[in-house]
Amino acid sequence: MHKFKSLTLIAALITGAVAATPIQAAEPVKGGTLVIGMTQKPRHLNPAVQSGTATAVPGTQVFATPLRFDENWRPQPYLAKSWSVADDGLSITLILRKNARFHDGKPITSEDVAFSIQTVKDNHPFKTMFSPVEKVDTPDANTAVIHFSRAHPAALLAMSSALLPILPKHVYGDGQDPKSHPANNNPVGSGPFKIVEFKPGEHVILERNPDYFIQDRPYLDRVIIKHYKDSNSLALAVDKGEVDMYPFVTNTRNIARLKKNANLEVTNQGYAAVGPVNWLAFNTKHEILNDKRVRQAITYAIDKNFIIKALHGGFSQRASGPVVPGSPFHAPGVEQYDLDLERANSLLDEAGHVRKDDDMRFKLRIDYLPGVAEQQKAIAEYLKPQLKKVGIEVEVRVAPDFPTWSSRVSSHDFDMSMDIVFNWGDPVIGVHRTYLCDNIRKGVIWSNTQSYCNPDVDGILAKAGVEPDAEKRAALYRDAQAIIVEEAPIAFINTLPYHTAYSKKIGNAPTSIWGTMAPLDEVYKTQ
Amino acid sequence: MADTSNLHGNDLPGAEHPIAEAWRMFRRNYAAMFGLLLLSVLVVVTLIGPLVYNVDPFEIVWAPLTPPGEEATAPLGTDYLGRDILAGLIHGGIATLAVGLAAALITVTIGLTVGALAGFYLGVVDDILMRFTEFFQVLPALMFAMVLVTLFSSSLVVVAIAIGVVSWPPTARLARAEFLRIRNLEYVAAARSVGAKNRRIIWRVILPNALPPLIVSATLTIGTAILFEAGLSFLGLSDPNTYSWGYMIGSGRDNILDAWWAVTLPGGMIFITVLAVSLIGDGLNDAFNPKLRER
Repeated sequence: MHKFKSLTLIAALITGAVAATPIQAAEPVKGGTLVIGMTQKPRHLNPAVQSGTATAVPGTQVFATPLRFDENWRPQPYLAKSWSVADDGLSITLILRKNARFHDGKPITSEDVAFSIQTVKDNHPFKTMFSPVEKVDTPDANTAVIHFSRAHPAALLAMSSALLPILPKHVYGDGQDPKSHPANNNPVGSGPFKIVEFKPGEHVILERNPDYFIQDRPYLDRVIIKHYKDSNSLALAVDKGEVDMYPFVTNTRNIARLKKNANLEVTNQGYAAVGPVNWLAFNTKHEILNDKRVRQAITYAIDKNFIIKALHGGFSQRASGPVVPGSPFHAPGVEQYDLDLERANSLLDEAGHVRKDDDMRFKLRIDYLPGVAEQQKAIAEYLKPQLKKVGIEVEVRVAPDFPTWSSRVSSHDFDMSMDIVFNWGDPVIGVHRTYLCDNIRKGVIWSNTQSYCNPDVDGILAKAGVEPDAEKRAALYRDAQAIIVEEAPIAFINTLPYHTAYSKKIGNAPTSIWGTMAPLDEVYKTQ
Repeated sequence: MADTSNLHGNDLPGAEHPIAEAWRMFRRNYAAMFGLLLLSVLVVVTLIGPLVYNVDPFEIVWAPLTPPGEEATAPLGTDYLGRDILAGLIHGGIATLAVGLAAALITVTIGLTVGALAGFYLGVVDDILMRFTEFFQVLPALMFAMVLVTLFSSSLVVVAIAIGVVSWPPTARLARAEFLRIRNLEYVAAARSVGAKNRRIIWRVILPNALPPLIVSATLTIGTAILFEAGLSFLGLSDPNTYSWGYMIGSGRDNILDAWWAVTLPGGMIFITVLAVSLIGDGLNDAFNPKLRER
């Protein structure tokens, strides 16, 4: 009995000791430098006129936005200490913090908010974010009232992360084109960090903003974003401890390698909003692919399980529809198209494509986005032997570079193409564009290049875009996705295996829906 | 009119036929015979192998990146998609050898034509053709081939043409030198004196005598062309619809740290092929070159 007691005592001591360590570490430490490594290189640092992760990571440190989002998709106060949406959804009132100042000491007013919304509306590639904005009233210096021509529930998300940086009107309002404004390389914002040096292609050095509007934040003294020429050399630098944090790791062999390092944490949290879907797009105007049975057959013939488990080492996730899992608008109930070669064969027979003497039915060409080989090239090459099983001969067409591929796909000169398209938080921003009839625009990549058109889907998406009630909105998106998945203009395959690898010295690693594309004011580093 | 080929006296009674003599010299060269043996084995494996080992090299047969010797289905392992490496080695040879041969043929055709005309006619023709040759010679060959493949497509035909188009200048210079040398020899003057036309002199008098060094260079060109194709493949410019050793290297490159076999084995096949071709080329050089005969 005695022995047992002492054992439990020891056990308690051990658990106590173990439990004590994280509690100690959870006490944020001030000071220190966070080194972030990235392979995507920004051309400039103004996210108001430029989309993409390269500008967004430094951009969200320099510029503050009216709102920020937590990991459960709930809006939180940021520059706006409070906000209210009118009952009819036609206006949003923002009440700004009184103490907020730009890095040059000038106060932030509602004028700057109105100016920034106009600038983003006029210049940002995501037109749908603020196109319903009619005007922004500024009754006083701390109140901005945004009026919409129709209800626009996506607006709250469009006021977070890198999507609505509040620009200083006294800098950007000088009449110069904001896309080529000299301040884009040395921007004045109001975020937790201010710019020290930006060397394109090499690094962005940021230092603590001592007058940040949130008291006692940020914890870090410096953030250095270093740019690497490829993912392998960056992974090596992380392994050696030269880099504290590597966001957007996509190569699954690197993920596996970094996971083995005892000094690192590797997580797939922080990518819910960016929502990257890897898919096989069909040209629905193609003489064979215009039959939905053929598209369904191909979708049934793809072994999604093999791709995720064998090709991606289990690090990517199944994407079965337009909206990624992890988004409140995800539709889990759609047809999953589990591998079914028999069904694929009978659908093709039904469509009138019988096997000829050589056992083949017809021939299709496949293009792929050059870049992440594991996601695009590998799957294109996998489809060659896989679709042969159902009598489809696949010819892989290589594009030597991005412009070649994008001009083929955007001019609709393709049969099938492997592609990655991002949700960007709200379906209005990143999902509608792929399916609306009036977004079949030749020459525009990532528009409706599939030439898919269903007026019913258009109607549901239009309703969903203006539905203020979140539950009803989600239901509308589920309906639209069920139709889209059934008609299969796209074979949805997987989400990119985005991971963040970071040193165990880092506390409060960014895991909100925007991950590192959000202010890192809570992140700290122990020595 | 007398047959001009008699003028250089090789067919005098009692003399050995030059081909037979070369073969005798070649046989004495162990390295060259070893090369010939290697190449014969490769050709047999490439031609007969697919009938014996009838596995589609594109087919996914087992888990991706299985190492050699672990699974009987894929004795030499699998690549990043799970395709059988052994099937790839056996089926991929034809394309690689064909590219090598076709590229060498193109090289010799262009090189010989340009070199022969320049070396025979001299003057303005020579000036124009040699400036043209120099133009091609100063372009970095690999870069130029990459541009051609990128501009058109990465199909095997384009790859073969691209390699041929960038590698003919040395052959042209060699052919020109031979023609320059031979056109001043007495038997050419003799042929001319009995009224032979230019065309006949080029085809029947000079060409047969200029051939030996050209054959050697053509043989070595096959090896270079195969290496070239592998190089283009390594840069990702191989034809993904035709299984070749180069394609295997190109597609396995990304996983070289995790799966050495997917790159090393086809690389070894290319090495053996190029080695065999080079040994044969050297052997031919020795056999044809009278100065080295009794070395």
